[in-house]
Amino acid sequence: MIRIVCVGIFAYLLFGHVLIPFRIKGHSMEPTYQNGQFNFCWKFRYLFSKPQRGEVVVVRFSGQKVMLLKRIVALEGDEVQFRNGKLFVNRKEMDETYIRYPCNWNLPPRRVEASSVYVIGDNRDGPIENHFFGQTSILRILGTPLW
Amino acid sequence: MVRMKHILILLLIIAVGIWAFLTLFDSEEKRVKKQFHLLSEGVSKESDENIFTLDQKIKKIGSLFEDSCEMKIPDHSLSGSLSRDEITGYAARGRLHFSQLHLTFHDMTITFIEEGVANVHLTARLTGRTKTGESLEEAHELNCLLKKTDKKWLFNRVEIVEVLKK
Repeated sequence: MIRIVCVGIFAYLLFGHVLIPFRIKGHSMEPTYQNGQFNFCWKFRYLFSKPQRGEVVVVRFSGQKVMLLKRIVALEGDEVQFRNGKLFVNRKEMDETYIRYPCNWNLPPRRVEASSVYVIGDNRDGPIENHFFGQTSILRILGTPLW
Repeated sequence: MVRMKHILILLLIIAVGIWAFLTLFDSEEKRVKKQFHLLSEGVSKESDENIFTLDQKIKKIGSLFEDSCEMKIPDHSLSGSLSRDEITGYAARGRLHFSQLHLTFHDMTITFIEEGVANVHLTARLTGRTKTGESLEEAHELNCLLKKTDKKWLFNRVEIVEVLKK
């Protein structure tokens, strides 16, 4: 009985606060992450370090259950811009090897606010208006996918 | 042994008393939550909904808002100060596009910022199917302000929290 209780408490702490299981719903991170894939959010990833450009992060979207999976493309103070589908950070074209589908996005330059990061999905297929991306507070970053 | 029995009975009476108090007397928090429950009922729609139910639900939605309510829902082109009639008109038109619609609220945090004013932070989930067969699944973080008017909590402001700013 004690063993079952201990396992229960351990599982609750591990999967409720350290490695949060989630299933990907949607195509915004393809081809890196596919719709329907299962993963864990590693919450201690940024315990001793700060999020960096190029990292895929789990962003708290609403409440404790709705999360977004996006890639950080710019950090606070950076200038972000899209020109004919090419991403420019601080006026320098980014080499994005993780992008499979070409796009024709155009977005005027904007600066990332303090304590924020700029996140975008890897799948940039279709018009810019149909995509969900932008700057968000660092406090909303829950962690990174485990794999 | 007799004393122990008396203590147990006393504890049982206290527990029943607390349960009765919590169940029978609506706290302000419960009343606020009830408004969200009613809004959820009003917005939700089943495929076999008849005209009578539709009319009742639209009236119900209208009764939950103040005469003028501040809306900030850019995703649905709903922004600015809207009258009760405008809100019900929008809700009625919006519901027409769907054969099935369900609105649920989660992770509710209620803060009474002053007497008769409640700030509610929550997640709203909208799921359903349009009449053309497309499925809808949306979730948003909302900030709502409710004010107590004539012993009734009414929506004064509804705002979607902008998580990603392009």
